[in-house]
Amino acid sequence: MKPRVAFFDFTGCEGCQLEVLNFNLEIVDLIGAVDIVEFREASSDHSEEYDIAFIEGSQTTQKDVERVQKIREKAGILVALGACSCTGGVNALKNRFPMEENLKVVYGDAAKYYTTIPTRPTSAYVKVDVHLHGCPPNRNEVISLVKCLLTGKKFELCHNPVCVECKLAENVCAFERGEFCLGPVTRGGCNAVCVTAGRKCWGCRAPVDEPNINSEKELLAKYGLTVDDVLNQFKLFNGALEVSK
Amino acid sequence: MRKITIDPITRLEGHGKISIFLNDDGSVANVYLQIPELRGFEKFSEGRPIEDMPQITQRICGVCPEAHHMAATKALDDMFHTEPTSTAKKIRELLYSAFYVTDHTTHFYILGGPDFVMGPDAPVAQRNILGVIAKVGMELAGKVLNTRKENHWIIQTVGGRQIHPVFGLPGGVSKRISEEDRNQIEEIAKRNVEFALLSLKVFNDIVLKNKSYVDMITSDAFTHKTYYMGLVDDKNKVNFYDGKVRVVDPDGKEFAKYAPREYLENVAEHVEPWSYTKFPFLKKVGWKGFVDGKDSGVYRATPLSRLNAADGMATPRAQEAYEKMYETLGGKPVHFTLATHWARLVELLYAAERLLELVQDKEITGPNIRNIPANKPDEGVGIVEAPRGTLTHHYVADEMGRIKKCNLIVGTTNNQAALFMSIKKAAQALIQPGKEISESLLNQIEMAWRPYDPCMSCSTHNLPGTMPLEVTIFDAGGKEIKRLVR
Ligand code: SF4
Ligand code: SF4
Ligand code: SF4
Repeated sequence: MKPRVAFFDFTGCEGCQLEVLNFNLEIVDLIGAVDIVEFREASSDHSEEYDIAFIEGSQTTQKDVERVQKIREKAGILVALGACSCTGGVNALKNRFPMEENLKVVYGDAAKYYTTIPTRPTSAYVKVDVHLHGCPPNRNEVISLVKCLLTGKKFELCHNPVCVECKLAENVCAFERGEFCLGPVTRGGCNAVCVTAGRKCWGCRAPVDEPNINSEKELLAKYGLTVDDVLNQFKLFNGALEVSK
Repeated sequence: MRKITIDPITRLEGHGKISIFLNDDGSVANVYLQIPELRGFEKFSEGRPIEDMPQITQRICGVCPEAHHMAATKALDDMFHTEPTSTAKKIRELLYSAFYVTDHTTHFYILGGPDFVMGPDAPVAQRNILGVIAKVGMELAGKVLNTRKENHWIIQTVGGRQIHPVFGLPGGVSKRISEEDRNQIEEIAKRNVEFALLSLKVFNDIVLKNKSYVDMITSDAFTHKTYYMGLVDDKNKVNFYDGKVRVVDPDGKEFAKYAPREYLENVAEHVEPWSYTKFPFLKKVGWKGFVDGKDSGVYRATPLSRLNAADGMATPRAQEAYEKMYETLGGKPVHFTLATHWARLVELLYAAERLLELVQDKEITGPNIRNIPANKPDEGVGIVEAPRGTLTHHYVADEMGRIKKCNLIVGTTNNQAALFMSIKKAAQALIQPGKEISESLLNQIEMAWRPYDPCMSCSTHNLPGTMPLEVTIFDAGGKEIKRLVR
């Protein structure tokens, strides 16, 4: 029997699924090797088990929490797909405000009918086997993960900061252009695409395992920035980082 | 009644949820529709550096991040009072045209297409991309996939990333187009034009030559006489990237034409207690409820609306296609909601031709891609046409250059009231006393809203499969009598 792969989406923009499943030809091959059994919610009448469950989006309601726990029970390997599921993503920006205030803005007078909880990454509620970082993640990384899972090879995330790939791409450093770049402390694996496009790194792939804070501090001092500036900038995609495991 | 319709759970799961309430005699009394919310972007942007807005807002929707990125970037231009350079504008519009080609192609063949290509009575199991491939043949299906792939490549190459591009900066863009890339884009652009012409031919052969389809398009169940909105250039031709917003009345006469900064004088938002969704309407006409006609401020902003609101298309072959559509459907404006699919193909051809024009423009590879803003940012409005309707971003900055206030009117929201009316009308025509309520009802109700391509038409049905949809029908006493889910 082919491995059964399922995609579940929670609060997010669905860009992760689109990045992966955009009908590109590599994906068609991959789809041939697996059985995509589910790509919406786990409906109550489905008693299926999944070999690999991809979780896209963050958990932002009590219902989300119950649902992700149910999926965990049925899943062999559970993958957090993208920044929303790994570290809260942009949704976690709402955690900076009182929840009642958020509700009021979204629902206005109807706010009294709703409840919301702070945005949490998936690992705050269930065990996550693999984190695929990025907003959205790199498609090749997703493909190589599925291949590893199919063949039993060990999957390795990139352990270098974005700077390593950025230098290989021969980019002019964003700091030299007067911008504030998170590349030195962000996990690579994206080929520093944003810098190559003339911008900077916003840290969408979350911090690298052991960021070299000291060398970063020197760099920051050189440009008149503080660690707080770094943390604040990191909030853009990783606002719930502190509760992810 | 109210208890049932305000159910945030289904909404957050991205379901399109429709509740239909019946009278004592079994006819339709009312219909409620719920759509996923905005996740509070207006609130949580507060306090972020304004330059982050093109990055933040595009995460509203992975289907159309380009539209948010572009509207946000234009709002930044306005906040800094800095015009982009001519090359920068062209690069932005080039990417945007490639985006339209992919988006309209996806919609016609993968999302909306199944309704038409397969026919309304086809079983659900066939109303998906696989059914379409079986009907139009592998060769065309291969072209559909290839068109998407090639235009995604353009977006990635010009914008830095395919999903969530990063190239937009106040006053310009961050990256030039190399001569080598230009050559490749030109080849793709030529193929796009061929593909768009072929798509119009497919529509002609499958839909227009079939009388029962044409009868359905022109039937009363799928007709609403409303105002229409769309962005136009200085010759009143359709434009996706820039220009003024033009509104025509149900007779097709110009009712308003306004610059982005004047949007608040023209559009207001109505709130209903049973739905958190806001219903924008024309302020100068006023909110008269969920009704069509000249006295009601309900307007639509869809591909068909853009064609109705303009005097024509700015490229030659799209103009021919435009004329043919209006000749066939009896002149302007066209009120048949299902004709939106046809209008989308006219726009596909325009986007393809416009992309080719831009890539052949001498300036497109020029070095002058940015005017560095010299002013302090204050307040700005950016408007583009998103594929699903006029998209408005409005920001106010504080002293530190952070967001103090953010207001967004997103594509689908414009059409909320009309969408609701269309579903209700279709339900009224289809559900009649004593008539069995069947599964095929789902198809037909889906057809009523599909032309608007509401944003929850998400990745889930890009895959072989069907749209998540739930219809619940209640009798006069509020008792659930039928529930159709898929
Ligand atoms: S991680 Fe990014 S791309 Fe993925 S769902 Fe969240 S916002 Fe969208
Ligand atoms: S631009 Fe950013 S990622 Fe590249 S080398 Fe400089 S700091 Fe590192
Ligand atoms: S460069 Fe930074 S922001 Fe861009 S994709 Fe890589 S990690 Fe994300």
